[in-house]
Order: sequence, then C-alpha cells, then structure tokens
Amino acid sequence: MATLDIKNLAKSFGSVDVLHDINLSIADKEFVVFVGPSGCGKSTLLRIIAGLEEVTSGDILIEGQNVNTHAPVERGISMVFQSYALYPHLSVFENIAFPLRVQKLSNSDVKARVGRAASILQLQDKLSLKPGQLSGGQRQRVAIGRSIVRNPKIFLFDEPLSNLDAALRGDMRVELSQLHRELNATMVYVTHDQVEAMTMADRIVVLNAGMVEQFGTPMELYHRPETKFVAGFIGQPNMNFLTAKVTAASAQEVRVDLDGAITLALPLAGDTVQVGDPVDVGIRPEDLRIVEDGGFEMHVDVIERLGGVCIVYGRIGANETRYCASLAGDARVTEGSMIKLASDPANFHAFDRAGRALHRLNVSFETE
Amino acid sequence: MMDRYSPLQMVGIYLCLAVFLTFILLPFVEMFMASLRPLEHLFRSPYQFWSDDFSFEAYSKMWDTVPLLGRYIFNSVFISTAVTLITMILVIPAAYAFARLDFPYKNATLGMFLGVNMFTGAVLLIPLYRVLQSLGLLNSYWAMIIPGVAFLIPTGIWLLRSYLEKIPRELEEAAYVDGASRIYILRRVVLPLAIPGLIVVGVAVFIGAYAQQFLFAITFNQTREYQPLPAGIFEFIGYQSVTWNEMMAAALVGVLPVMLIFLFLQKYLVAGLTAGAIKE
Repeated sequence: MATLDIKNLAKSFGSVDVLHDINLSIADKEFVVFVGPSGCGKSTLLRIIAGLEEVTSGDILIEGQNVNTHAPVERGISMVFQSYALYPHLSVFENIAFPLRVQKLSNSDVKARVGRAASILQLQDKLSLKPGQLSGGQRQRVAIGRSIVRNPKIFLFDEPLSNLDAALRGDMRVELSQLHRELNATMVYVTHDQVEAMTMADRIVVLNAGMVEQFGTPMELYHRPETKFVAGFIGQPNMNFLTAKVTAASAQEVRVDLDGAITLALPLAGDTVQVGDPVDVGIRPEDLRIVEDGGFEMHVDVIERLGGVCIVYGRIGANETRYCASLAGDARVTEGSMIKLASDPANFHAFDRAGRALHRLNVSFETE
Repeated sequence: MMDRYSPLQMVGIYLCLAVFLTFILLPFVEMFMASLRPLEHLFRSPYQFWSDDFSFEAYSKMWDTVPLLGRYIFNSVFISTAVTLITMILVIPAAYAFARLDFPYKNATLGMFLGVNMFTGAVLLIPLYRVLQSLGLLNSYWAMIIPGVAFLIPTGIWLLRSYLEKIPRELEEAAYVDGASRIYILRRVVLPLAIPGLIVVGVAVFIGAYAQQFLFAITFNQTREYQPLPAGIFEFIGYQSVTWNEMMAAALVGVLPVMLIFLFLQKYLVAGLTAGAIKE
C-alpha cells in the first residue's frame, strides 16, 4: 500500500543547505503533519516528495519503489497548494476535471468522477461558477476536489488553510480529518500552525533548520519532547524555561538549583548529566498553579482572561525573561501584584546544554 | 474617487494636455483640411485656414489618379497582419522559455535581443538585401514580411516575457503535478491567462509592422502590386504636379480603418486588464 519512505535526504540550493539527513518512514493511510517555523525546510521537503524539486542526495520511496527521477504524476501523488492554484479562466467543473482532461478520459468518465468528488465536498451547485465567484472555503474545497479525482496514493497539502480566517480554518480542519477517514489515504500536510498539527495528525514531524527534531504522535511530542526546541514549539502558550544547575543526579532523580533560590527534586533520568552542569528546566504554563507558600514568586505584568482560562504573564525575581502561567478562569490575580506559583515535580522537563531532553520517568498519557 | 487636484491644478493639467495633443493631432487636422481643398488653393498666400470651396472631390478622384490604391491599402494591412501573426507564433514560446525555463546564457541571449533593437533597419539594409537576394525573395511579399518579423521579435519577447512572469508559478506547478506537459500547460493554462498581454504585444507588433514597412518596401520590392500604402502613395507625385490633396485623402483613408480598429481594441484591452482585478 501507499507507504512513503525518505532516506538520508539532503537538499541544497547552490551553497545553501536547506535540508540535512532527513529519514522518515510514513505508514499507509497515515496522516502526517510537517510542522516548524518559517524557513525550516518543511515546504521544500513536501515539494521534493511531490517531485517539484529534485533531491541533492538521498532517496524517496513510494510503496517501496524509488521515485527520485519520476515525474509527479508517475509518483501517484496529488498536491493542494497554499494559494489553491485554481485556474481563474476555468469553471469549477473544469478545474476539478483538469487532471482527468490531461489523462484524456472520456466525457462520461470525467462527469462521473467530478460528480463524485463534488458530492464528497458539497460543491454540486457550484460546478458552473468560476473560482473568482467562490468564497475562500469553497475555493479550498475545489482545490481538494482537483486532488482527489485522480485517486492518488498520497495526498500532499502545503499550508492549505493559511489563507482562511480563523473560524473557517476550524471548520476545514474537521472536514479534512473527516476526508482523511473517508478516503482512507496517506496524507502529508505542511503547516506552521501547531494547532492544525496537534488536531489532525496521526504523527507529527517537527522540523527545525532543515533537520528533523522529532517524529512522533501529538501526545508524545507534548509529554515527551526530545529536544528543547520541540518543547518550546509544541504547546500553547509556550513552555517556560528557567536556567538551573544540577546539584545531584541519579538514574531516578535529578536535583536542580534554580538561581540559588529554589531547589527542585525532579523525577528524571539523570544518567546524561553531571553535578554542576547547567540545564534548562521547562514547565508548561498550564501545569502551574497558585500556592500560598513556597514556589516561584512572580510579579504579574499582564493578565489575559479568556473565560475558561486566565493567562498571566510576569517576571520571576530579577530575571527580565517573561514567564507565563495558564490558570483557572476565575483566578484571583491583579496586574502589578505578586503571586506564588508551583507545580508537581513530575510536570517539569529538563534539557541539557545541547538541548536534549532528560527522560521523564513518571509520565503517563493516552496514545491512540 | 477623491478630488486630489485643486481647480487651478486641473486647469494646468488640461492646458498641458491641450498643448501636447495639439502637437500630435495638428498634422492630422492639416491632412484632413488639405484633402478637402482644391489643389490650387493649397499654395495660396496668405494661408487661409478656412475656405468656402471645401469638397470631398479628392476622395473620389484619388482612385482614378492611382488605380492600385485599394490594392496598396490591402497590402499594408495584409503585410502587417502577416508580420504580426508570424511574430506572435515565434514570440510566444520564446517568451515563455525566457520567463520560466532555466538554460545557459539566458540573460546573455536576452541582452542580445535588446541589442538588436538598437540597430535601426536602415543600418542593416544592405546586408539584408544580399540575404533576400540570395534567397530569391526580393520583389515578393516575403521581402517585406521577413525583415519585419525579424526586427519585431526582440520587442515582442521582452514585452511578453514580463507579462508571463506575472502569472503565478503555482498554477503551472499544479498543472505539472496533475501530469500536464509544458506545451499543454502553455496552451491550457498560461495562454488563456495571458490574453490581455497577448493583445498588448499583438497591438505593439502590428503598429511596429505598419510603421516600418515603408523602408523595406522601397528597398526590397519593385513589384507595384505588392507595394504597401506608404510606398504606393508616391504615385501621387506625378511628372508635372503633386496632387497633395489626393495624397492626403489616400493617407487618411489608409490609416483611419486601422486606427478605428485599435480604438475598439483598446476598450477591449482595458476591459481585459481590469477583469477579475476587483474582488479576487
């Protein structure tokens, strides 16, 4: 079936290395999302899979077959572009039918297949319109329709929702997840939006500076980020990082000293660190709570009340870095006041100087 | 639209426009006036702007003075049309290649095309004459069409290339991913979207062809039946007298239909350029 394997892939444009040593193995019917900041190479990787860019070195295998030199259509992929790339001079029907016209299918075949795609995407009454007469969400559906008529083995999406407004994006996320279930196809999806990644993906590839930081399920990435980058990238609001020094390390526990003020005993595997090593301790805003005694003292600068939650930004000690806590919606805090924050030691993350995570021991989470 | 100019500025703008247009259009007015006068009135002194004996007589007499006049007008339009068609057929794939493909010496070739534009046809008349002579093409329509095409290709490529570059690359990539070949993409995606650009280039080439045919006609063609209007109009210069009024009438009759077509095309052109620009 439609598996996709990427082996030792590298890509450079002239002297600029865009991707280094990418190794991925995507299973049949899997929904994989490439996520990362702008310029991390995620779109380039997708374009290489599509056959729009050539690899500099390495191999792309679809269903076990090397497709490095195959044209996109021979690879059995279809692609939805960020700008939708609809042909403005053709009707919705002809836009969806375009790949079939290229294949020179008979008119009755074209009609049947476009009709089926249109009914999946609820575009039946829009077929005679031009793309210019459609709303953003409808254009998006036409672009998807054009990609499904050919029954490709693998669907590629390049930031397809980034041109839509927030409300529509939420709807389309649900529709795309549903479409994935209905079509039962392998999908690779590129986005810079971690919400899209977390909600739709079976597995997520986090890319940074042309390298794979981590490849795992959304919950793995959230609970067991392998690097400081992934920890900071996944999760909203972002994880807080505090600098600390290791005061004791064993296979079961790591003791750290935060700015000489607070000592924490964290249930982490400490085999890779030594006493005296500097580490970054990470704590997610949603894991913090207000306590009467102990914990970090935070000077509250800004409060964002969202109803369900209340997000507090402030400074800890003399440190100028802004920290963040996500508290209950009715939390009693006022701007300019001091609050004390603490969390269960099991919630803490720690990263060594190279940004590698120390393995968290007492973590349990559901995996699908 | 907001009023961005004060009334005084508007007066200034219109004044400048009036001066500019007067310079451009006055020759046409004078052509028309001359065509209406009897020949002997043209040399009257002092000059009279208005006279009582205006008539359209020259417009009927000119067909007798130069019997082939109709043929000359047809030749003009025919040569220009042929030049335009051949130029477009050659320019479209070339401009697309320059806009989209990567090949060695791309910029150098583009620069050379621009360089060709710096030579006027007159500089190359003698070598061109030799070439056409050895090909046996002198005194034929080809003698005027081939040099016309050659000198208009560079302009065509430069104009159309910049237009094609504005068509979003993603549209072509989408078609390529769906299995379309370059030619298919050019035919079904690029050209339909480039129609306004094609009209602009077509009009520019046609005007260029119309303007430059005179030089090639008098140098490379001696056959009366193939002469275009600018060359044919010479026949109004007789052994004893020059029938200026009829010459002006013939020139106007030859140029007006073409001008009217372009006025009409210009409307279409503006419509084409703004279609879809609002609320995309």
